[in-house]
Amino acid sequence: MEDFIEELKRKIIDTLELADLRPEDIPTDGVLIGSELGLDSIDVLELVMMIEKDYGVKIENREVGARVFGSVRSLAVYIDGHCRRAGK
Amino acid sequence: MKGIRAFVCGAGVVNAAGIGLEKTWEALRNEESCLKPLSIFAVSHVPAPPAGEIGEALPLNGAVPRTHSLALLAAREALSAASLLPDAIVLGGTTGGISTTETLLESGETRPDTYRYHALGSVATYLARHLKCQGPVIAVSTACSSGTAALKIALEMIRRGQARIVLAGGADALSRLTYYGFHSLQLIDPAGARPFDLQRRGLTVAEGAAFLLLVGAEEPPEGALAELVGAGLSCDAHHPAAPHPEGAGARAAMQKALSDAGMTVGEVDYINLHGTGTVDNDRAEARAIRDLFEDPPPLSSIKGIFGHALGAAGAIEAVASVLCIARGFVPANVGCSVPDTGLGLQPLLHGQSGKIGAVLSNSFGFGGNNAALVLADPSRLAETFEKCPHAVIPAKAGIQKALNLLDSRLHGNDKLDHSGEIQRSFSGNGGQRKIMQFSVLGTACLTGAGSTDETLGTFRRGGALRGRPDLGTIRTDLSAASLRRLRRLSRMTLILAREAQKAAGMAETAGSPGGIYFGTGWGPLTETSDFLDQLFASAGQFTSPTDFIGSVHNAPASQAAIRLKATGPNITATGGDYSFEQALLSAALITKEGDDPVLVIAADEHHDRLSPRLDPFSAADGGAAFFLRPLASATGLRLVPAFLSYVPEGEDGIPPLIEALGGSGRICKRFGAVFAGIPASTRARGEACVASFLRRTGFTGVIFDYRCVTGEFSGASAIAAVLAVDVVSRGVFPPHLSGKGKAALEGKGILLLGLGEYVTAIEVIQ
Repeated sequence: MEDFIEELKRKIIDTLELADLRPEDIPTDGVLIGSELGLDSIDVLELVMMIEKDYGVKIENREVGARVFGSVRSLAVYIDGHCRRAGK
Repeated sequence: MKGIRAFVCGAGVVNAAGIGLEKTWEALRNEESCLKPLSIFAVSHVPAPPAGEIGEALPLNGAVPRTHSLALLAAREALSAASLLPDAIVLGGTTGGISTTETLLESGETRPDTYRYHALGSVATYLARHLKCQGPVIAVSTACSSGTAALKIALEMIRRGQARIVLAGGADALSRLTYYGFHSLQLIDPAGARPFDLQRRGLTVAEGAAFLLLVGAEEPPEGALAELVGAGLSCDAHHPAAPHPEGAGARAAMQKALSDAGMTVGEVDYINLHGTGTVDNDRAEARAIRDLFEDPPPLSSIKGIFGHALGAAGAIEAVASVLCIARGFVPANVGCSVPDTGLGLQPLLHGQSGKIGAVLSNSFGFGGNNAALVLADPSRLAETFEKCPHAVIPAKAGIQKALNLLDSRLHGNDKLDHSGEIQRSFSGNGGQRKIMQFSVLGTACLTGAGSTDETLGTFRRGGALRGRPDLGTIRTDLSAASLRRLRRLSRMTLILAREAQKAAGMAETAGSPGGIYFGTGWGPLTETSDFLDQLFASAGQFTSPTDFIGSVHNAPASQAAIRLKATGPNITATGGDYSFEQALLSAALITKEGDDPVLVIAADEHHDRLSPRLDPFSAADGGAAFFLRPLASATGLRLVPAFLSYVPEGEDGIPPLIEALGGSGRICKRFGAVFAGIPASTRARGEACVASFLRRTGFTGVIFDYRCVTGEFSGASAIAAVLAVDVVSRGVFPPHLSGKGKAALEGKGILLLGLGEYVTAIEVIQ
């Protein structure tokens, strides 16, 4: 799981063009959106697209999104769980 | 003499209900949704969600995109009642010919001729051509408030004596860009829009066009349907897509509209809500209304009936509001079955009949571009006025009588004052109402030569500026984080805004402009191209919300507003090679004496794949920005937007230009040089204009064909204006001009002309 979290952080940096951030700058359990990282609802939707494309996991509405994007760990757990369920 | 009022003497509409006012009226009365599964193009979502497609077969003209056809249908209806031709057109819209462009791009089409109706501004020009309008034409794009913002500009044109009969409204056809764009934002309700409902999940995309025919008169012409009594504009300056959570901008727009109308909240009988059905919009709008109205009047959103026709929505709702006033009825909030009690407002679940004296109609768009307008019963101030409660056909004779009366009152009042300057206002109309001039507080530009300093240095040495600025080398104090997610046009705009502010001696935090007026011929091409590429490549599966939000024409101006905390009007005008001129004219129409300084910016980007198709002569990009203080009688170095007119093919646009500038005598006395902007696409027409100008005025000063220096692109005139300001302030010609026989301006000014399909003039004088 820790490797997957690291992978997700790199993808977050690439997808959102956070050029001046390194993976260790993103907290694993801290708040991801609305924190000093400067990420907002559009970034969430951009990540929704990346997750569907790269992992085949859909996050189709904002209510689910709000829960899943609580932290990088919650995101990793959600993706991991759905990949397993789909046998991917 | 009392002020000139704007009466609605005609209205036309096409929307999901069908073609014509009566279809819209029936839909409002019947309280039935006109939304049906989207069929105009195939979508990747099964089942296709509901959409507001035009509800009947359209007499489409296959030679032009759908938006153009819809616009002309509605415009013709608005004009038919009074059989009048407009002397100005203001159109609101968001996507112009994009639905056609999508098909062409997907098929790999490269011939520029096939893309000639892509531009949003081409819709306004198309109307002007078909409706024989030789006068000011402006296309405004403030996302979903475009149609309402257009009506504000039209209202000011009438009040300030710039036009007497104005056709104003909005048009937008359904397109894949907007459908998939809203989908990527998870803002489409699969069940159809349910504004203010507890279960609401988003909006329903729709299409349509609507126009009001506004006639300027002191008293209501016989049969006038309504009066446009006021309108207000604001910007959230908060987020590129989400509304301010407390509805601060929405509240400001409503407040300004009421104050502009000279009315109190107690005089509003009905509020036509923006009410898109998205969770955030409805919450912010409800909050704003609760804050402003202690006891709100009946209110409803009609987007559950017609869907959200984006740039046309505000105009469609203005037409619906006119019907409410003329026929004494307010419609139900269709789609809402269980009102969200958390919103603290009770929308009308059924229509109500009764006298409606005044309607407040709201429109809010991406970028926090808000607009509200107040329409009222034309008879409310006149005891003797005979209103025809069910008429939609005002008598042409009555309108003509009102216009003649106004003419006789105004005749001869455009006079020269003792300094030889034209007083561009109707006498007795109050100093506040006239079109503003602007004292120049600071300028900035980006060209192939680089930043402002590099550009002016190169220009003074006689060098060329054409090319594209390398944004990687432009010095700016904007942080990397503030430029994240921004592509070329928004980046240039943000840099220009900040540099002009600095040039005016303003700190970023202390010098918020009172408004931002942005001109762009093509809008953000990178985002548009990236969005569509991804859409085609993934067969509609993956589209980027960032690209969608960034692709709207007003994205750059709203980014500048967020950065500079500019909560005043935020207008984006788009008129091809005359976009800067349209933005400056809009600023002159909307600002009042004593308003805070405004930012006027114009910029365009060159895109390697799209530009050769859309604007094949374009070979450069960049832009310019001006920090300007609006003054009725400006002193010092100033910009005066003096003339802007569409010129029908075969007509000579120069005689009205000369008249507007105060005649040949004043032109020769006041100006030492003409900076002539002749777009390569209309070179022959432009050169004929120069010849006509020289022949008619006997002007012997320098003529500077500036596109040879600035490069060829639609933002060139804004750069030329910066160069003109530099020459006028220094009084010395650079080598490009002094080689033509004269070395200095000798205290005279520069006349900046646009010559081609439109004729425009901006005076740069001291």
